Amino acid sequence: MSTTTAPQTSRTGETPPSEPMIRLEKLTKQYPGQPAPAVDRVSMDIPRGEIIVLVGPSGCGKTTTMEMINRLTEPTSGRIFLDGADVTRDNPDALRRRIGYVIQQIGLFPHLKVSENIAVVPKLLGWNRRRINDRVDELLDLVGMDAAAYRDRYPKELSGGQRQRIGVARAMAADPPVMLMDEPFGAIDPITRERLQNEFLRVQQQVQKTVVFVTHDVDEAIKMGDRIAVLGQHSRIARYDTPANILSDPADSYVENFIGSGASLKRLNLTRVRDVVLETGCPTAYLTESLPQIRRRLLESDWTALLLLDQGRPRRWVTARDLTGSDADLATVGLPAVALVEPQATLADALNEMLTSNAGVAVVVDGRGVYRGMIDLDTIMIEARSMRRGTTEFYRAAKRSLTGGEA
Amino acid sequence: MVADCFPSQAPKAPSPTGQRDWSAGRTAARWLGMPLFLALTGGALYRYVAGQQLDTIEQRTLNASELTARVGEHLQLAAVSTAIVIAVAVPLGIIATRRSARFMTPAILALGNLGQAIPSFGLITLVVLTIGVGFKAIIIGLFACSMLPILRNTMVGLQQVDQTMVRAARGMGMSPLDALLRVELPLAVPVILAGVRTALIINVGTATLATFFGVKALGYVIYQGIQLDRTPVLITGAVLASGLALLVDYVAGVAERLLTPRGL
Repeated sequence: MSTTTAPQTSRTGETPPSEPMIRLEKLTKQYPGQPAPAVDRVSMDIPRGEIIVLVGPSGCGKTTTMEMINRLTEPTSGRIFLDGADVTRDNPDALRRRIGYVIQQIGLFPHLKVSENIAVVPKLLGWNRRRINDRVDELLDLVGMDAAAYRDRYPKELSGGQRQRIGVARAMAADPPVMLMDEPFGAIDPITRERLQNEFLRVQQQVQKTVVFVTHDVDEAIKMGDRIAVLGQHSRIARYDTPANILSDPADSYVENFIGSGASLKRLNLTRVRDVVLETGCPTAYLTESLPQIRRRLLESDWTALLLLDQGRPRRWVTARDLTGSDADLATVGLPAVALVEPQATLADALNEMLTSNAGVAVVVDGRGVYRGMIDLDTIMIEARSMRRGTTEFYRAAKRSLTGGEA
Repeated sequence: MVADCFPSQAPKAPSPTGQRDWSAGRTAARWLGMPLFLALTGGALYRYVAGQQLDTIEQRTLNASELTARVGEHLQLAAVSTAIVIAVAVPLGIIATRRSARFMTPAILALGNLGQAIPSFGLITLVVLTIGVGFKAIIIGLFACSMLPILRNTMVGLQQVDQTMVRAARGMGMSPLDALLRVELPLAVPVILAGVRTALIINVGTATLATFFGVKALGYVIYQGIQLDRTPVLITGAVLASGLALLVDYVAGVAERLLTPRGL
């Protein structure tokens, strides 16, 4: 089995841009009457077009840190640069119109329709009606909602997941280069949350915003972040690096504790199905082919099962026994093809699919559902091992000695 | 699960029209009940009065032009006083809830409470003793009596607006004034309107006292009935005053319903 290791920085953009989109310089927030500052001299550079996740325990000041970027919380001292310009003293209202903002509880305005909610910032910026309408439709489409069906709804007529989508669309309305998201997927059931996370990653691939994302959920941080800033008390930055680097080398007991156990499992979230070499040796046949033809193909291969395709889409698994007898109906024979994953799914998703559907392999299909290949447990195991920097060498050495011993 | 990451979700909420059809019967009963009741009461009153042998004293009060004038005066008192209260109490309530003006909140509330605590009769008397009888004095009295409901409801209505809404508004770049006009006030409208309705009822009721201070209104009819010991006059005055109060309350209820932003 051949595999490739995804480069550790595969999700962090091709070339590091010279100038950060956001630069925080010794940013401090001291609330009156409090002995210690809520945020103590935080300095960080946030590169263009990346998702930066601020993660840390409750009350560590991560939301305060984020809110100082659009000055919803005014810093006591320190400076904020946006796209190279010092905005610490700019008019905060004008500044905020240039920064998309998704609040923790979404905060859609209940008395405004979906379209009016999305149009808030464009209206503040004085766009004309036509441009606003076009933009609303474009954004609804972008977040996967039918514009005609939803633009005139009120928030109370939407499900939680739909409200969340509108919240994201609203933040992107005036196409701001920077977006701040404060636990945007916090109050949503796990299944919808996962779907929204994937969806946001897909949207982000298209729009390439600079996103500052706050969460207390390490798994979400690993999944969403191009870079993660692990924050300690007073928003002190314990670690600021790519998820892969943090997971393979926490470098610090605080960070290690915060990541928690199961780091190897979490690492599976870092590699996508499209980054590994798929197994394509499995025999396949079309529903339209003749039974003897299919049987011969299966017997000639070294596989015990064959995948039946219907217009390129996986339908059923059949074994040689299913194909004996001349009256076998290809539409019902064997077992249905389950555990389908798309290339942008993570290896954790694929593993999860395999375990829940009790299948030894996951079938990889593209966006239109067309068969692309397989991914099996061995592939995932090898990926998981090779991602650990130290152990990679160990396994390579072990493999070498093993083959050397046999030779 | 992974393969269908982005399905557009099926519409969840039932269509508004479907909802309306379902409860159409109940809604009609709710909105038509009160007008029907008032019409029946009015008809009964008319038949009762028409069936009486009225003497000249009674005739002087119980005739169309006289009664129309009294009802007109009554409505005028209630409308003018309520309009002034709205114009004063809503802005005052807004100021009282602004962070920068919090220190004035107790003083503003105390002022409103004062008007509410003093019996209306005594309060109007005090005003009259100060500036003399007449329309103006009564309006000032009514204003003081009905200040509190609108003031308090404006404050409560604004305070109960979910602070995350305000934060979202500010975070998107709305100025404090934008946030007030576009988010806070629309969300507070139902509560403020409830206060307006209460104030209106208070004013319609209290306006019956105007007859003692120089404006006849419907209180005059009742008072005549008592003073001259004429039961038909007394009954007519009492029924008209109560019916008018109910009618005003009904109209205010309809207005409240229509003015509440959809989606709330």
